[in-house]
Amino acid sequence: MSGDIVEDTRGIDRTASIVLALGLLFILGPLVFTLITASQSYDSFVRSGISPVPGTHLIENIRRLFTTTAIPAQVVNSFIVALMVAAFKCALAFVTAFGLVFFRVHYAGIVFAVLMGTVLLPLDLRVVTTYQVVSNVAMPVNGLLNATGINAMIAAFFGAPVDLQLNLLDSYPGIVLPALATGTGVFMMRQFFRTLPGDLVKAAQMDGAGWFRFMIDIALPLARTNLTALFILMFLGGWTMYLWPLLASSTPAMQTAVVGLARLSPQGDGQVPDYPLIMAGAVVVSILPLLMIAFLQRFIVRGLTLTEK
Amino acid sequence: MQATIGAEIRLDALTKSYGDNLVLPGLDATLGAGEFTVILGPSGCGKSTLLNLLAGLERVTSGRILMNGREVQGLAPRDRGVAMVFQNYALYPHMTVAENIGYALKIAGVPRAERDRRIAEAARTVALGDYLTRRPGELSGGQRQRVAIARAIVREPSVMLFDEPLSNLDAQLRHGTRMELAALHRRIGASSIFVTHDQVEAMTLADRILILNKGRIEQFDTPEAIYRRPASTFVAGFIGAPPMNLLDAIAESGRVRLASGTVLAGTGANGPVTLGIRPETIHLNDVGEPVVVDYVEDLGGHHVLAAHLEDGQSLRIVTPPDRRPEPGERLHVSFAGASVHLFDAITGRRLADPAPIRSEGVPA
Repeated sequence: MSGDIVEDTRGIDRTASIVLALGLLFILGPLVFTLITASQSYDSFVRSGISPVPGTHLIENIRRLFTTTAIPAQVVNSFIVALMVAAFKCALAFVTAFGLVFFRVHYAGIVFAVLMGTVLLPLDLRVVTTYQVVSNVAMPVNGLLNATGINAMIAAFFGAPVDLQLNLLDSYPGIVLPALATGTGVFMMRQFFRTLPGDLVKAAQMDGAGWFRFMIDIALPLARTNLTALFILMFLGGWTMYLWPLLASSTPAMQTAVVGLARLSPQGDGQVPDYPLIMAGAVVVSILPLLMIAFLQRFIVRGLTLTEK
Repeated sequence: MQATIGAEIRLDALTKSYGDNLVLPGLDATLGAGEFTVILGPSGCGKSTLLNLLAGLERVTSGRILMNGREVQGLAPRDRGVAMVFQNYALYPHMTVAENIGYALKIAGVPRAERDRRIAEAARTVALGDYLTRRPGELSGGQRQRVAIARAIVREPSVMLFDEPLSNLDAQLRHGTRMELAALHRRIGASSIFVTHDQVEAMTLADRILILNKGRIEQFDTPEAIYRRPASTFVAGFIGAPPMNLLDAIAESGRVRLASGTVLAGTGANGPVTLGIRPETIHLNDVGEPVVVDYVEDLGGHHVLAAHLEDGQSLRIVTPPDRRPEPGERLHVSFAGASVHLFDAITGRRLADPAPIRSEGVPA
C-alpha cells in the first residue's frame, strides 16, 4: 500500500483543479456579468435585459459616469477616507501594541481584552449611538455637566445651562474617527511584537536607547512588513465601508464612492435603473482596490504569516 | 583594540526579590579589577538575575553595587560603563553588522568619523572586518556571536558581562570561541563576568569562579582551589566530570568507615560524615571493597563505571581503557592513595582535611 500515497497525488491534483475551477466560476461569474452589463447601452439593456455577449458602450458609459455623476469626486472622497482610516489605524495599533508588550502595564491582560471587545462590537452594531455622538461630539461633556449638577448652578447664575455643540456629520473626521475604534490592528501588532526576542529590548537598553529610540530605531523598522500588510487590509476595509459613510454623510459631495454607487439607482419613480451606468461605476470604483491586491499581495502574505527572519 | 582599565566590582549586602520570592538573599563579594570571574550554578540559582543587576537591567531590592568605589545600583545601564553579550546574540536584524556595532555610539552622539574608526577597530578585533555591510541573517552562528562581542567592546567598557554566550554554538565552535574569549579578555583589559552552567567553561576561562546555589555563594575561588578543596558537597558534586563521589560514612576513633567497616581515611572528626572521593583516584584491585557494575561508558581514553557498593550507595569510577568491565560484573576497588574530602553530613560544609590511606585499611 506504500505506493498509494504517491499515486493518489495525481487524483488529488485533478479533484483540486475541478474544485478550483468551480470556485473560480462562482467568483468570476458575477464579475463577468458586471463587465458585460457595463458595456451595454442603456437602450439595449431596457429592451433585452442582461445580455450574455459584451456590448460596445463601455467607454461611453464610463464617459457618462465622469460627466453626469458625482462618482469621480466621490472616488477622491473614498481615497481620502480609506487613507486616513488605514494610516490612523496603523499608527494606533503600533503605539498601543508597543505599550502593551514592552511596558509593564498593570492589568495589561484586561486592557487587551477590552480592546478585543471592540472586535465583537463592530461599528455596524453601534451606528445609532455613534450617530448621536458624531452629530454632537460635545454631548458627553454636556452630559457630565448635567449629571454633576454643575449645569444647574451655571443655569442659576447665568440664566441658561451650558449646551456645547460640535457636529462632525458630513465631514472627513466624522466618517473616519468612529471607524478607527477597533482592536484588530492592535491584535495583529501585539502578536508580532511578542515574537521579538526579549533580549533585543535589553540589548537596546545596554546600548543606551530609551523606549522612544527603541520604538523608532528598532521596533518600527522590524514591524515594517506587518504594518504594510495591516495598512493594505485597513485601506481596503476603509474603501469598501458602506453603512457608516452612508449615515454620516448626507450630501453627495461628502459621500464615498461605494455610497454614491448605490445612490445611482433612481429611488422610487418606476424608471428602469441605468444598470449599464451603475455597472460601469462598479468597475471604476473597484479598480483601485483590485490593483492594490494585485501588486501588493505578497506584502499581505508576508505580513500575515507573522514570521520575521 | 586599545586596552581599557577594568573596574573593581564590590557587592555589598546585595538582595533581589520578586514579590515574596527572595532570589538573592544577600551577596557580599569583591571581584578584582581586570579579573575574569565566572558565575557558575544550576538553572534557577540566581546567576542571570545577578548579571541583570550588574548590567542595570533590573533594580536591586536592597544593598549596593560599587564599581571602582562608585555606587552604580541607581544608574541606567549606559551610565555604568558596562557592556553585555547575550545568549541569543540579540542583534538588531534590520541593521548591518557595522550599524549593529555602532548603535551605542550613534545614540551617545559620537561623531561619524570617530564612530566609523571605532567600528572598524572593533570589527577587526573579532576578525569581522570583511562583513561590515552584511546583515545578521546572512551570518553563521559563530559570526553573529562575534558581532555581539564587537558591539560590546566598541564602547570600551570597564566591565564586560556575558550571559551564557557559548550555549548556542556547536561543540567545536564553542571550544574555539572559548580560547578567543580568553585572549580577548587579556587584550582589552576589562573586568569580565561570565555566567554559565557549564563547568568546563568555568574551569577553563575563569581567574576565579563564583559558585551560586539558591542565591547564596557556595564558594568563590580559583578553579584549582575549587577542584582541589571544594567548600561544600554542592561544589564537590558540581565540579569535575564525572563529579566527585559522595558517600555516607561514620567517623569514629580516628577513622572514617563505610557501613561495611572498610576504612576510607583517617580523621579527627566524630559522627556521621559525607566522604568525597574523586572517581579518577579510585583503583581496581582484587581484595578491596566489593562493588557491582551497573553501567559502563566507554570514552575512548578511559571508561566511566557507574557501580554500587554492597550497602546500595552508588559510586563512579574512572578506569583505564585496557579492560572493559561488563554491567553486572563484580569488582573490587581500593581507596588507597585516593583524594578524599570530608564534609559535615548535615550542613554539607567542608571539615578538616582527612588523611588518605596508604594501603588497604591502614590510615596514614
